[in-house]
Amino acid sequence: MKIEVNQVDKSFKKQRVLNQINLTINSGRIFCLLGASGSGKTTLLRIMMGAIRSENGTVTIGGTKVPNRQLLAEMGYMPQNEALYEELSVWENLKFFAGLHKLKRKTFEKNAAELLQVVDMLQDKTKLVRDCSGGMKKRISLAVALIHHPKLLLLDEPTVGVDPVLRRRIWEYLKQLKSSGVTILVTTHVMDEVTQCDDAALLRNGHIIAKDTVENLIGMTPNGNIEELFFMNDQSEMEGATC
Amino acid sequence: MLSIVKRILVQIKNDKRSLGLLLFAPLLVLTLLYFILGNANYVPQIATYDMSEKFNTELQQNAGVIELNEKPEAKDYLEKNGIDALIWKDSEGTHLELLEKNSKATTALKAIQDTNKVLQPSQSELLIDYVYETADDNQLDSLSYVFLGVISFFFVFILSGMSFVRERFGQTLERMLMTPISRMDIIGGYTFGYGLLSALQSVVIILFAVYGLHLHVEGSVSLCILVMILMAFSAVSVGALVSIFANNELQMVQFIPVVLIPQIFFSGLIPIDTIPFGLGNLCYFTPIYYGCTALEMIMIQGKGFLEIWPWLVGSVLFIGVLFLVNVMALKKYRRL
Repeated sequence: MKIEVNQVDKSFKKQRVLNQINLTINSGRIFCLLGASGSGKTTLLRIMMGAIRSENGTVTIGGTKVPNRQLLAEMGYMPQNEALYEELSVWENLKFFAGLHKLKRKTFEKNAAELLQVVDMLQDKTKLVRDCSGGMKKRISLAVALIHHPKLLLLDEPTVGVDPVLRRRIWEYLKQLKSSGVTILVTTHVMDEVTQCDDAALLRNGHIIAKDTVENLIGMTPNGNIEELFFMNDQSEMEGATC
Repeated sequence: MLSIVKRILVQIKNDKRSLGLLLFAPLLVLTLLYFILGNANYVPQIATYDMSEKFNTELQQNAGVIELNEKPEAKDYLEKNGIDALIWKDSEGTHLELLEKNSKATTALKAIQDTNKVLQPSQSELLIDYVYETADDNQLDSLSYVFLGVISFFFVFILSGMSFVRERFGQTLERMLMTPISRMDIIGGYTFGYGLLSALQSVVIILFAVYGLHLHVEGSVSLCILVMILMAFSAVSVGALVSIFANNELQMVQFIPVVLIPQIFFSGLIPIDTIPFGLGNLCYFTPIYYGCTALEMIMIQGKGFLEIWPWLVGSVLFIGVLFLVNVMALKKYRRL
């Protein structure tokens, strides 16, 4: 599902958090929104889903203008914090969200078992979420976002607090989803995560300072470190200020 | 909607503390009220000085009597000895001194009045009777409809309001809204989920009050349960609405007195037509008014469905309006 973001602005209490954002995310790609905390990544993600309204501009997903309730059936969302019911077990959480997507019992059971295997939680499926560690909750949250096999996946900092072995497994699974045609949008502030993606946009103070394929972005830097792009942008801004 | 109802029920089943709070805390409070306001069988302690032998003997039927040989200073004596009243006679007449205006003083006064009634029977005695209650009904019987209504409303309001605040701050509400579920289904699921639990609470409270505490119910117990269930549903809706204005759990707690105290005034605790400046008319905007009035009519006046239906309709309308307002309010979190 192709996402097009056109001229999007957003302010909170007179403070501009997104400025004239233009983005195109092609179908079947893993796109990374990279930026520090407070750069506007989550706000942009929420505008894309239709959770909040932008002041100007439009977002279309698969040619349909956001917000659209039917579109939500095709989307899987994983918020930054776990957003799970602590008093429900892992399985019950999955079952609840599957119910909201009107999944049939058999489909749910198949999907849930497969996903819990991926996130290494199958043996803990009866455990109450309140008894799970932070990393476990993150994994359950990812499984919840994927339970209905969405065509578009929006993941807000999905691998924070997840151990490296499992992180690798999650990325492998996301790439597998991509190859089956799923479009994946990931926000992160961890530079290393970008290399797992196909395309990326660098967000700073509500502005996109660079966007391209990850390969090209790396090519723009002197040492192959995407982080450098932030410093390079800083320098050019300073030069601009002195001119 | 059914998914939300099921989830709420499973969630509360796994959260024994909330279940306990919902089902047993109201019983605990009611029991406490039963002992505080019910028939305490308190025997007042009355000191007498220079009263006739006949009076002292008769007073002993109603109170503990201490006969004094000299008249003490009333304030010091009553305070230090834990005596409720001092009665004495001098050239001016009979004096009665009570420590303060409280229920113990009222009991002491009643004991003295009863004694006088026996000693000086009058042919033109005023015989008091109540249309809807008997003289034997205690304070708890007279105000049972207020306590049942307010206690049930209070616990359901807190539980549903807090749960909704937690949904928002735990981002589970946002996650729910990022599925194709409609806002109406969310509010419906919420109202029915917590409404069912509250209905269970209402049944437990009424049965405990009637068969455990032997509270006087003139009319039908099942009608009482119906009214309580409607009140519980409105409490869920009020809790959900108020939670929208709370930015965190602390603010939700701060809303409790703001929302509940004015409603208690309109629950029948104070006769509404005695409230000045037409402020009594505000009662029509409080769900407790409809519920408690219907409960009063059933429990005290023994009225049936044909008499109470307007208040039931009032409750249902209130629930309906709050439902729509809550659906609209969810627009704050998802436009569609």
